[in-house]
Amino acid sequence: MSNLADVLVIADQLQGDLQPIALELLGAARGLAEKLGVKVQALVMGHELGDIPQRLIWNGADEVFVVDQPELKEYTTLTYRRATISVLEGMSRPPHIVLCGATTIGRDLAPRIAAYFETGLTADCTELDIGEYEHKGKADPSKVGTFHNCLYAIRPSFGESLKARIIGPWKNPQMATARTGAMVPCGEDTTRTGKITVIPVKFEDSDFRVKVIETVRDVSKAVDLTGARVIVSGGFGLASAEGFRLVEDLASVFKKSAVGASRKAVDAGWIPYAHQVGQTGKTVRPALYIALGISGAIQHRVGITHSDVILAVNKDESAPIFQFANYGIVGDLFEIAPLLKENFKKAFPASKEV
Amino acid sequence: MSDGYRIVVLIKQVPDTSSKAGVNPDGTIDRARAKRMLNTFDKYALQKALEVKAAHGGEVLAISMGPPPALEILVEACEYGADKGYLLTDRRLAASDTLSTAYALHKAVQYLGRVDLVFTGLQTTDGDTAQTGPQIAERLDLPQITYCERLEIVDGKARVRRVVEGGYQWLETPLPALITVANSATKLQHKRFGGVYAVKELQRHKERMDQTVFIVDLDKVGADSNKAGLVGSPTVVGKTWKMGEIGGSCVMFLGDSPKHNVEHLMARLKEDNRHIEELIQ
Repeated sequence: MSNLADVLVIADQLQGDLQPIALELLGAARGLAEKLGVKVQALVMGHELGDIPQRLIWNGADEVFVVDQPELKEYTTLTYRRATISVLEGMSRPPHIVLCGATTIGRDLAPRIAAYFETGLTADCTELDIGEYEHKGKADPSKVGTFHNCLYAIRPSFGESLKARIIGPWKNPQMATARTGAMVPCGEDTTRTGKITVIPVKFEDSDFRVKVIETVRDVSKAVDLTGARVIVSGGFGLASAEGFRLVEDLASVFKKSAVGASRKAVDAGWIPYAHQVGQTGKTVRPALYIALGISGAIQHRVGITHSDVILAVNKDESAPIFQFANYGIVGDLFEIAPLLKENFKKAFPASKEV
Repeated sequence: MSDGYRIVVLIKQVPDTSSKAGVNPDGTIDRARAKRMLNTFDKYALQKALEVKAAHGGEVLAISMGPPPALEILVEACEYGADKGYLLTDRRLAASDTLSTAYALHKAVQYLGRVDLVFTGLQTTDGDTAQTGPQIAERLDLPQITYCERLEIVDGKARVRRVVEGGYQWLETPLPALITVANSATKLQHKRFGGVYAVKELQRHKERMDQTVFIVDLDKVGADSNKAGLVGSPTVVGKTWKMGEIGGSCVMFLGDSPKHNVEHLMARLKEDNRHIEELIQ
């Protein structure tokens, strides 16, 4: 065992339902921990968590910290902040690395934790690795030196066709949030064993300042972009909110399909943010991705790179999307989308298997 | 409250990536040549701030951190209806990461004295981290609500509809609080200086600018320069590289009628054995 501290994953769960991002982060953490020669820890917070701690062990954690109290039944920033800080401050060795999902929970909680510990946090990573770093910066002599076992937090950089490796070895824990769909789980192994520790947390009155009045989660309507086998996405070429009917209509042909959107379509207010695919939205891995009227800005490309097949429809044959799609049709999407619907059904009668 | 709310909105000037100006052939941005704009999400935040002021009275104070040209967006915010603008500008702020940005900005907020509501955009279009808002809330010990899409003030509390995976949540927070705005049902209204008198009105407004937009530095807001800028940043960009070129082998269908193009595509999908039949309802 090395003398480094461990890698901790903050595992998202909702109403006792372990979220896929938690398993993805455990997969990423295993990779990092093996390179460092350390253990994978997981922190899960909530109420009536049932077998979740055990499942975290089966999915790659060596040690699980559990905070299971009624105050945590529903996520709120300040209660989960208190629980996270209590657990981290109570550890004999604070973790070397802390990973969080880039979800509406992780992106809400992680920055507060990083600010509390005054440590670095890299947002929305698409890759994580371990490596060396030599800092020669004359501008800031306090940072100069060669550092080993750094977290390499890799993310696409703002609207450019660049990736950036963010480094922060001067402060521990080194923190990152990772996008849903970007990391790969290590798979469940029910023979794996590990240590589960329940930690009691004492809250303060100020932790309850924000009240949840109601939560509306419609699972049937939930935009499951990360779990979809087929995604049909619309962009600025749709020209209006009504244009998304075409997108929905084409998506209805497929099993396990979802409607996606480019940032420009979301910014125009045609469709809710939850549908956004790409750098600020979600990374997706469908078998088939159909892009209607999407030019293919770099942010979007980053989000769909892992699709098996990308089909693009755009009236501009020089649109960047044709540089990375597998198949492209140049033409008017308002004509082509209904034709696609009709022909997909005709050419590929649904397979009989259930 | 008799004198209404003191509302702060934090805004940032970002490169306009939708314009070709200042974009180098390799895709990097030359910030000196790029067109500049008010960050999209900050427009929603400004809109929310102005709505609260319109409904309940008070004043809207815009703060930005950035180099001197960022004054433009503070003037713009005032043209939309903000009462005052403050630019925190200081050479020592160069190369700030989110932690040190949040440190400097929370000092700027504190400099303004009593504040009831702080609005920020969900994230910027250049940094894309969505971290600065919550990090400022932590420094100011404020409750926060992120991903706000609707907001109303009821009995001196903010009720906010927050986007969550698969739906939304209504939350209620006492004031003061910090809210990051993901989108807004309403777009920013027309600037105040419209119509026939626009030119004169704008001229008069510009003359008043020295009482409307203020420039402050780290010392003025009482910030510790060791916690700001590069020195105060626990992270640095270690390396950047161009994303690998992908594709270049797109099979294009463009020479025929839409009907034929689609039919040829189907044939090609079969030929390439893409197993589409497994995906059909």
